[in-house]
Amino acid sequence: MQLLDIRNLTIELQTSETAIRAVDRVSFSLKEGEVHALVGESGSGKSLIAKAIVGVLNERWVITADRMHWRGVDLMRLTPEQRRKTVSQDIAMIYQDPSRCLDPTAKIFNQIAETLPEVAAKGFFLKRNRERKDRVKALIHKVGIKNHEAVLDSYPHELSEGVCQKVMIAMAIARTPKLLIADEPTTALESTTRAQVFRLLKSLNQLKNMSILMISHELEEIVNWSHGIHVLYCGQMVEAGPTHRIFSQPRHPYTQALLKSLPDYEHGLAHKEPFYALKGTIPTLQHLPIGCRLGPRCPQAQKECVVAPKLSKHHGHSYACHFPLIKEIK
Amino acid sequence: MQPLLKVQALSKTFNMRAGLFSRKKFDVLKNISFCIGKGETIAIIGETGSGKSTLAKLLVGAYSADSGQILLENNTIENNGNRDAQCRYIRMIFQDSATSLNPAVTIAEMLDDCLKFNTDFDKTQRSEKIGSTLLKVGLLVDHQQYYPHMFSVGQLQRVALARALILDPKVVVLDEALSSLDPSVRAQIVNLLLKLQLETGLTYILITHHLSLVRHISDQLVVLNKGEIVEYGATETIFQNPQSKVTQRLLSC
Amino acid sequence: MAKFNLFSEDSNKSPLARLWRKFKNNHPALVGLWVFIAFSLLAATAPFLAPYGVNQQHSDALLLPPSWNEMGDVRFILGTDDLGRDVLSRLMNGATYTFGLSVVAALITTVIGVLVGTFAGISKGIRSSFLNHLLDVTLSIPSLLLAIIIIAILGPGLMNTVWAIILALLPQFIHSIRNLIVDELGKDYVTAYRLDGASKWHILSRGIFPNVYEYIVVIFTMALSTAILDIAALGFLKLGAQPPTTEWGAILAENLGLIYLAPWTVALPGVLLFLAVLSTNLVGDGLRKVLQARKAD
Repeated sequence: MQLLDIRNLTIELQTSETAIRAVDRVSFSLKEGEVHALVGESGSGKSLIAKAIVGVLNERWVITADRMHWRGVDLMRLTPEQRRKTVSQDIAMIYQDPSRCLDPTAKIFNQIAETLPEVAAKGFFLKRNRERKDRVKALIHKVGIKNHEAVLDSYPHELSEGVCQKVMIAMAIARTPKLLIADEPTTALESTTRAQVFRLLKSLNQLKNMSILMISHELEEIVNWSHGIHVLYCGQMVEAGPTHRIFSQPRHPYTQALLKSLPDYEHGLAHKEPFYALKGTIPTLQHLPIGCRLGPRCPQAQKECVVAPKLSKHHGHSYACHFPLIKEIK
Repeated sequence: MQPLLKVQALSKTFNMRAGLFSRKKFDVLKNISFCIGKGETIAIIGETGSGKSTLAKLLVGAYSADSGQILLENNTIENNGNRDAQCRYIRMIFQDSATSLNPAVTIAEMLDDCLKFNTDFDKTQRSEKIGSTLLKVGLLVDHQQYYPHMFSVGQLQRVALARALILDPKVVVLDEALSSLDPSVRAQIVNLLLKLQLETGLTYILITHHLSLVRHISDQLVVLNKGEIVEYGATETIFQNPQSKVTQRLLSC
Repeated sequence: MAKFNLFSEDSNKSPLARLWRKFKNNHPALVGLWVFIAFSLLAATAPFLAPYGVNQQHSDALLLPPSWNEMGDVRFILGTDDLGRDVLSRLMNGATYTFGLSVVAALITTVIGVLVGTFAGISKGIRSSFLNHLLDVTLSIPSLLLAIIIIAILGPGLMNTVWAIILALLPQFIHSIRNLIVDELGKDYVTAYRLDGASKWHILSRGIFPNVYEYIVVIFTMALSTAILDIAALGFLKLGAQPPTTEWGAILAENLGLIYLAPWTVALPGVLLFLAVLSTNLVGDGLRKVLQARKAD
């Protein structure tokens, strides 16, 4: 069944003069047990989308969508309380700076114990306590932290970022959610911990059939284990489809530029040869170009690009470009 | 070929407070030696706590070593803790560009101060030098009137690079300078660095976790673990045949 | 992640200009600033502007109510007290004492606090701790009580009040400034300046102070409001300004007996005190909000 079904999600910021479209008609859907990646650089609105799904954007942002369904329930039509209930049961989110997201004044044990789901109280107070301790220990072992004594007894500032991120994951999976949204979870980590966290997320997906919505700006991390990718640029969806297809046959110039900026993508790239990079920088929110937002930087831009291109679908691979690439890269 | 920078047996120990009255000695770096030639790039990789940032700060002069020598073009600039403070040929770019620039002054004032402390150019020479350095890093001359808050992250790294290059250094240390950038911006900055290396023969010391980048742009590789060099040699050789367990673990992920 | 800061991206204004722009948008704070400036001007020019002399008695106009009352006289806009002295002139001169002296006290505290705090911030170890905690013993005593103790030692008088208040406010100042400077010193740009070859003085004047002075102004306004209240309180207790000095607290104390006969002689100094403290707090609060918003960007 479709877990998440979003069609034409638009998020606008109301200023005194105009409404700025931070996210422009993005659609995607997620099935059970699928790992999906939202890839985009800063300013692409990917974190905004995640926050809109969970419902934590404040009133400055106006969210409109043709459809925003979670397991068949329209999230836009729920009252805030109902939405919070639905979301807290089934969706969990982990963030970018793990040590900043943990309460600095509480020990790790208390923070994890707080997220455990309520179970009917049975037995004495001591028995319940023991049960709570066991469950917290089980959670900590599940995320791969071996020395639970030391970690449970410390405060967040005493632990390294990698351990904090694992603790956050433990807190997120405490209620066995159906969807885990990971908002750039590994940017602050170093390479060995990064690999551990990815292995953990992969095992959670495979063993518990948990869907993962992975938000990232690095392509190379997610290529090995995501089923589908959505590439965003400045709030517009530029390309989407199965991972292997996008890697071997990118149709949009932006996707091609992202792929080519990976050092080991093109085997022909000699040592110390310059990368292929689009000229210019990402436009700020106030100066978004009309039509296709990659227009000013795109090497293939022509007159037609002042009109936003429509999404064309081709065997599950959609792209939004007036002049898509037809050459196969690999 | 004569190596440009030679590091011999550098060691650094910190005194950490352990308990109320005792102080524990903590060996951050032990006996580090390597050398690098002109126009080459050396990459230093290792886990957190292996001493990479301390080594970067030692090389550039922010800390002084307890023992060991650093020789630049055969002139000793550091000898057992005595640093030649006049030497500005090794410059550094920090990881977080936003906090490494003074938010209260314009770029022109900052670069001007830099020149005033180190050279005796007069006013016109200074403004010429500032203009040409900004053009070299891909910004416009008018950007010197801006305050740091006006720039995007990628442009701030270019400004930091301009600050490093304005004194015409021989070696530039990049302390995780590329880690916090978006892929497209990173590609642009790496292209800029490669171009400058080709044109002016700059030497880079790159500290990073990005292994594919290391393989692409560095000639030599140093692997640190708990303050000691575990492996040192040509990048391609180590990547194809890592000898020690630590290197194998780092390169496998 | 893009930061959606819409107000200051297009303008290349210095941090001070941006601060002013944000501050202007906070209307209560702006009104507070006007009132503050009005008081400062009044404190500076009161002797020249007051219609009558401070001790000039008019025996024909005793206890006249303010001029908007039917029994009042337009010659004495705010009425007269029991000795026939014009309340308006006395209050205007009082601004010089209460407000003006508080500003002086707060300024002296700021200067000493900045000097000691800076030395504490840039030195390390025992010396830093010593300077930091030098006056901590005075933190345990409330400022008013401390002022009373010092007056008891030095004897009553307005200048002694000022010294007492300076001593009471200094420890907080030193702590705050030292913390600010230590925070700034930990930032990367200070290391970059050092690597460029800047001397300690350069680092302080070009790097740290331009980034720190706004916070110092906030602390100054907080100290100022405490100082105003303390001077007035001590004047009221007859430990500070002695009559016939026209300090507002002293006027309040003098006229307390007349509260049923001539309430305006007590209410008006109180209203002025309230406005002075309110405006100072509004300005300080507004500044603090702007600085917090800037830190959150």
